[in-house]
Amino acid sequence: MVKLFDTQQLRLINKYAIRDFSRSYKKLWVIASTLFISLLLLSLTFSVKEALNNEIEANSKELLGGDIQVTSGIDPLPSLVFDELKVLGEVSIAIELATMVSKKGQAPVFTELRAVDDNYPLYGEIVTTPLGASKKIYLNTQKPTVLINESIQNLLQLEIGDDVVIMGKSFKVAGLVVSVPDLAESAVFGEFAIISKSSYDKFELSSGGSFLDHEYRIKFNNNIDVSKQASLVESIVAYDDSIETRLPGQSGRSLGRIIDNFSNFLNLVSVSAMIIAGIGISNTLLSFVNQRNTSIAVKKSIGFSSNFIQLMYFYEIILILIGMSVIAYLFGVFSPLLANELLPKSLGIDLQPTVSLIGYLNIFFIGLLVVLIFSIPSLYSISEIKAVALFRNTFQPVSLNFSSKNIILLAILVTILITYFVLQTEQKFYTILYFVAFFITMFIFYGVSKLLISFLRRFHKFSNNGYRIAYRNIVAKKSLAPIMTVSLGIGLTLLLTLSFVANNLKQEISDNIPSMAPDLFFVSIDRDIQPDLESFIKSIDPEVTLEFSPMASASFISLNGTPIEEIVSENNRSAWVVRGDRRISWSEKSNPDNPIIEGEWWEPGNENEMFISMDSRAAYDLGMSINDKITLNILGRDVTGTIKNFREVDYRDISINFAIIINKAFANKLPYEYIGTLKSDMSSNEILAKVVEKFPNVSAIKVDRILSQVSGVLNKIFIAVTGISLIVIVIGLIVIVSAVLVQTTFRRYNNLIYKILGVDFPTILRAMTIEFVLIYLTLVFFALSVAIAGSYLIVENTLQLTWRFDLGLTLWILLTTALVSFVMILIANKSIFSPKVYPLIRNE
Amino acid sequence: MNAAIQFNNVSLSYGSKIDPVEVLKGINFSVSSEEIVSIIGPSGSGKTSIIMLASGLETATEGSIKINSQEIVGLKENKLSEVRRENIGIVFQSFYLIPNLTAIENVLLSLEASQKYNQEQEAKKLLSEFGLSHRLGHLPSELSGGEQQRVAIARALINKPKIILADEPTGNLDSANSQIMMDLLFDYTKKSKTSLVMVTHDNSIAERCDRIIEIKDGQIV
Repeated sequence: MVKLFDTQQLRLINKYAIRDFSRSYKKLWVIASTLFISLLLLSLTFSVKEALNNEIEANSKELLGGDIQVTSGIDPLPSLVFDELKVLGEVSIAIELATMVSKKGQAPVFTELRAVDDNYPLYGEIVTTPLGASKKIYLNTQKPTVLINESIQNLLQLEIGDDVVIMGKSFKVAGLVVSVPDLAESAVFGEFAIISKSSYDKFELSSGGSFLDHEYRIKFNNNIDVSKQASLVESIVAYDDSIETRLPGQSGRSLGRIIDNFSNFLNLVSVSAMIIAGIGISNTLLSFVNQRNTSIAVKKSIGFSSNFIQLMYFYEIILILIGMSVIAYLFGVFSPLLANELLPKSLGIDLQPTVSLIGYLNIFFIGLLVVLIFSIPSLYSISEIKAVALFRNTFQPVSLNFSSKNIILLAILVTILITYFVLQTEQKFYTILYFVAFFITMFIFYGVSKLLISFLRRFHKFSNNGYRIAYRNIVAKKSLAPIMTVSLGIGLTLLLTLSFVANNLKQEISDNIPSMAPDLFFVSIDRDIQPDLESFIKSIDPEVTLEFSPMASASFISLNGTPIEEIVSENNRSAWVVRGDRRISWSEKSNPDNPIIEGEWWEPGNENEMFISMDSRAAYDLGMSINDKITLNILGRDVTGTIKNFREVDYRDISINFAIIINKAFANKLPYEYIGTLKSDMSSNEILAKVVEKFPNVSAIKVDRILSQVSGVLNKIFIAVTGISLIVIVIGLIVIVSAVLVQTTFRRYNNLIYKILGVDFPTILRAMTIEFVLIYLTLVFFALSVAIAGSYLIVENTLQLTWRFDLGLTLWILLTTALVSFVMILIANKSIFSPKVYPLIRNE
Repeated sequence: MNAAIQFNNVSLSYGSKIDPVEVLKGINFSVSSEEIVSIIGPSGSGKTSIIMLASGLETATEGSIKINSQEIVGLKENKLSEVRRENIGIVFQSFYLIPNLTAIENVLLSLEASQKYNQEQEAKKLLSEFGLSHRLGHLPSELSGGEQQRVAIARALINKPKIILADEPTGNLDSANSQIMMDLLFDYTKKSKTSLVMVTHDNSIAERCDRIIEIKDGQIV
């Protein structure tokens, strides 16, 4: 009967659907609201991600600070090379170093100091308070000036115009840095200051130590082909492997990856919310079909086919989807404006809303897949409704239709949904794993509900009325138990898992580490001053625990002759070990805190051969074996050494740990500096103030400051993650409420019969409480088990931390969820407590 | 003249093959066009099952059923729907109006199923003939039992079916309303030269028909 392109038929379908909307909108709110919330979540994450990527792409030159960046590390480029670069365009030099900024009476602050010439920045601008303060650092005044960020201002309680000391020299604070065009992490999360290059030159550093970095940014002349010139720059600096070049786009790549990972996580949570909403849609549609059983049978008796009726309901759902997806998309489109308010201003990121058809279709397509997956089994049940029932006046409620044809169709749609998500993310394996785990969890909870029902059937001989009513409600043919167990179970599992992971991370940082961590980290200590520094600190506190290790800078070149970039992908967990400059140390003896787990330590004394001890985890991740040959560039010279052993390194103790250690006899030939740790009963601020006064070039990081910054970030993540998983719970609750509402007529009828038989209100309330408690306790056991297993795998395997169980947090989540859910169910059920006799007797 | 309905050796049974419940056993009868036939018999004798089979809403276990010479046993659902749309109007005992459609919308539904659109005037005219001109925009819950059944009959007749199948159409009505209802049905059937097959327990109604078929234990007596 239904020809797909029969316009009259389509008009009829449209007419019926619109009429149905206007007369049944109250019954459709569950579908509309659950779809809207889950689509909104999806739209928000897509929009913010798109806006961030657009911002990074559009401002790639600003983020890099030039058309190309050359980093020469500790040493500046030779003047001849510098002159060659200057021929190609405008060149700006920036030198970055870690140092201490101090103010009289305040503990010094470890700061990332950037010294820039007056060409800086080649693209974009430094935003300061007051406006234009950046120009003051170049003025040739008697006292040089510095720009500081808000964090330094707060820590040292500084006002504009105050004096600070940097490396023994006095500077006047010219203003506050609000943002710099090229992203500086410490400008956002830590302490950051800018001085002029001429002020830096006055430090007359003989050696800046390994925490010194020379960066050259070039803005090519207008008439020059950028890609050719970039190649030319690379050929100019090709004489030294340790010199790195970066092009626009590469600077934002790591930020882009973080954004991608986080938005991927949010997308997965959104799709989980959508799937739970799908359960609600399925349930509501099924009840819709059952409530209209007679109407559908009448339509069939008149001559409408099942296909026509199914198509009509599909059309209604698609109309709801279109409406909700448009609203959700429009909300999502403007979410970057909200994100601008939440992102740190110092990031200098200004996200712009972008409306695009592709963006909308992306949301709509995912929504369509979910809607189809969950409405097919419900709407295909229409074919089970028989018009002959009209003669007998006996209507059997239909159930979800899982015919072989439907199962194949659903399998195809689910595969498309998963593939669509997987193709959009770089974390393909984890995305597939998540979907698999999600669907398994869904089946587990469905099985749990069936288990509860079969378990209760064995215990039906209780004489308590409340229990008996609860028992009947749970084991009834159209019981709420399965839908409640699946929707609440999934939401609760997600909430528990994410909370456990976030809490483990938080506790790892905030609770355990400070007890074993040192108070101060000294970085980049010149080998000549190390003995004086050590004795000076011991003179302040004779009981102090001091540890110094030699350190040199090296970069990874090859493994067994193959360039390391060809072996290690960017996604490798231990890629950081072989990327960029890495600090190495040396030792003649193995450290008992770093036990050898493969190979043997070397014999002392061989000064012509380099032996290497590798962090075992990194070595295994990078595919290394004992006796492999590693080539390192140490201070401009390529040196090849042999791997002798793998050590177990626990970076969490925040003591001095190195991924690569070489033999001392060979290293003795290298220029080096020291890194050190200090633990004392005295105030670290007091020691630091005295040390910086005596040794202005010494830099030290306060461990508690770093930890509090990390904790702060983690706290925000914890709140965000909890908030997101709460959305899933909220959708789960809407689904449960929908299921409750679906059953209202049936329950009202039952309660009326109970009322006629003399059962009072407290008994009915008690029955509802028992029913909820039985279902909740059962699902809690499985939700907890799945959450513990899931979070254990993430914490122990992915994060490599020790998993711990927090009973307080668990109880809090379980009790709060139970309370909120039960109250929602009671509110949804309020009409069944006082059923009116008259309409039921009249069969209305 | 061709038979409007032709049952040849029709049987209907439910349940398993080992222990079937035989509802109809080898029924043979025919109804010619413009003929009015009543089916009577005790409860459970199989009267309604004959209507169900004739409408194509139930499938015979054995035998042949022809509607206007077209064999309907073995047809697929879509084809059966088509046969029903083109030939049959059904009136139920319990009216079965669609609760969220008004009186006129319920009637129009039947036309729209047959792809006949924009025929509100036709529907209004028929409902007016049935004394419902003041109830066109009312929902079923706002109509009395008699009014509901008149709407249901209008719905069955609007499409000008060749056969009307009625299953105890006055079963839920008082005697006054029953009389009105039957007058409407008989008048319309005669005027439009339609066949009418009606299941009834009411002998006075059965006696107004051209022929009576009595069923007992699934067989024609």
